[in-house]
Amino acid sequence: MIYFYDGTKEAFLTALLLSYDDPLPVLTSGNCQLALGQRTVFVRADAEKAQKAERRLLSIDKDCMRDLDLLLRSGDADKDTVALGYFRMIAKRQRPVREMLGEDDVLSAENHIRRVTFEIHRMKGFLRFMECASGALYAPIVPDNDICDLLVPHFRSRLPMYFFVIHDVKRKKAAVYDGEHTFFAPLGEAEVVLSADEAAWQRLWKEYYASVNIPSRERLKQMRGYMPVRYWKFMPEKH
Amino acid sequence: MIDEARLKILVESAKFDVSCSSSGSGRRNEGGVGNGYASGCCHSFTPDGRCISLLKMLLSNDCIFACKYCMNRCDADMPRASATPDEVCSLVMDFYKRNYIEGLFLSSAVHVSPDYTMEQLYLTVKKLRTEYNFHGYIHVKGIPHADAEIVRKTALYADRMSYNIELPSERSLKLLAPQKSRESLLLPMARLQRERLEFKEEKRKGYFLPAGQTTQMIVGASPEKDGAILRLSQGLYRKNGLKRVYYSAYVPVVHDSLLPELPGGALREHRLYQADWLLRFYGFDAEELLPEDGNLSLEFDPKCAWALAHMELFPVEVNRAPLEVLLRVPGIGARSAQRILDARRFTKLTFEHLKKMRVVLKRARHFITASGKFYGANERAVRGLLAAEESKSNAVQMSLFPNETALSALTGEL
Repeated sequence: MIYFYDGTKEAFLTALLLSYDDPLPVLTSGNCQLALGQRTVFVRADAEKAQKAERRLLSIDKDCMRDLDLLLRSGDADKDTVALGYFRMIAKRQRPVREMLGEDDVLSAENHIRRVTFEIHRMKGFLRFMECASGALYAPIVPDNDICDLLVPHFRSRLPMYFFVIHDVKRKKAAVYDGEHTFFAPLGEAEVVLSADEAAWQRLWKEYYASVNIPSRERLKQMRGYMPVRYWKFMPEKH
Repeated sequence: MIDEARLKILVESAKFDVSCSSSGSGRRNEGGVGNGYASGCCHSFTPDGRCISLLKMLLSNDCIFACKYCMNRCDADMPRASATPDEVCSLVMDFYKRNYIEGLFLSSAVHVSPDYTMEQLYLTVKKLRTEYNFHGYIHVKGIPHADAEIVRKTALYADRMSYNIELPSERSLKLLAPQKSRESLLLPMARLQRERLEFKEEKRKGYFLPAGQTTQMIVGASPEKDGAILRLSQGLYRKNGLKRVYYSAYVPVVHDSLLPELPGGALREHRLYQADWLLRFYGFDAEELLPEDGNLSLEFDPKCAWALAHMELFPVEVNRAPLEVLLRVPGIGARSAQRILDARRFTKLTFEHLKKMRVVLKRARHFITASGKFYGANERAVRGLLAAEESKSNAVQMSLFPNETALSALTGEL
């Protein structure tokens, strides 16, 4: 059976309960190829059921909700079914299963989680702010996974007196820090007026990038491995 | 704002310093800009495959020393430039807030005198910390022969300092860097280490080199063998408490009859780093890996070479072998070893499991059994197969003609 849901934690937990006795459930929040005669269920979040399930799961594994949050942020198409498999296993075994790396369900979940956390780490390095005329900092990003709000604490602690915006251009949403509070908002296109010096600093950075390279030791493959081309879009030094 | 022309000169003069890491400091942001990020952070990668973490530059490249391997030596025909402390500080601040860099790596040619140079470095980092209120990562080079008190004061503002050993032996140092002596490099290192421990013991407020010290050696400009180099590194790690030793394959940037004209070789540098990792994270001693007058095998990575010389210890059973033993299996890294330990608590591991856990079996399969099963080749064939794998994966071509064992493994004539 195929279970459709809206991608939220509540609906996921509701679906987990609903599909518990189904031997081969497929869960999805997006498009899904239906086989002929395939039966489908549309799961609507049930706050009460979800809360009950969450309490039960937390009593088994106190860190499992962090795993769920990361799994649901994954950009992989099969992330919902993978998350379902992982949480069914926690429920069936009645214990944390994180280290049972001999199990396919655990391995897949671990892989998805690692891809999300790795991208968070990468983005802390590859994200580029531009300075706006108002003095605010603006960074457009196109991450594989839905992580833009998770980047805020890192930058808030190092740039506490700056107003900054991290804009996930692909998912049309933004995380905003106004020097005091953080909030999240849908954001399609941003109109950005750059400061007078911004272009000059970018030029200086590009000069730095070109100068620090050792041309006689060129290893392009290695560079692309560490810094995949899809992240270059908003890096001034790659244009 | 510093002009592009001078930035170019000061960066090109600094780029052969290998150290780029920004890890190991948990410095907190105290009401300004920046903090330490203990795991380190790479902000970009250059076409040579190296990461950019810190803004790496010299305060001045106008040198009174004449180290033969160095492009900035006083008798070289080079454009010279200097930057003021304020120029460096504002560059750091504006790069940092745009998230281009994790901090500053500041070095300098020996300008006017060692004391004067060290003082300029000190004033720059002090200014950056106190006037510009910067709490990100700062790595400062120590200047040989500089006054100990200025060095100590610098350490109060820096996260990491490094004196470059430059060459692996006193003899080579005398020949190629006549104004530097072994003592002028090793003594300040030892002194800083002592002061750092005192600072920690007295639980004083503030920081004193929270990320410790590192050093760098140029490999291939002088005749020392890998065995001597690794013994030196081992001593530096174990006796002097160094965090990292960097190796830099010599790139001929200047011509001198005392220097070889061919570069030292990227593969040799790679092998030294592999062996260095074995010393630090895998419980190996330099003495186990190679004799003092020996070189590391270019054909096999150092762990593989060690295992091939100790075939009597293998294969080991992954379901039983303790961590120290798993770490000695070629191809099994620290992370894989830990994962094997975790997973085998719940199930008896087979090769299928290992494959799915992404343990790299290319090399490991010859040295392990999983639930009693062995999928390796027989002892005679292993050498050839491993050599073939290596020459396929090495980006650097080792020789025009692949060695015979490797070739016969590829053509299946083993």
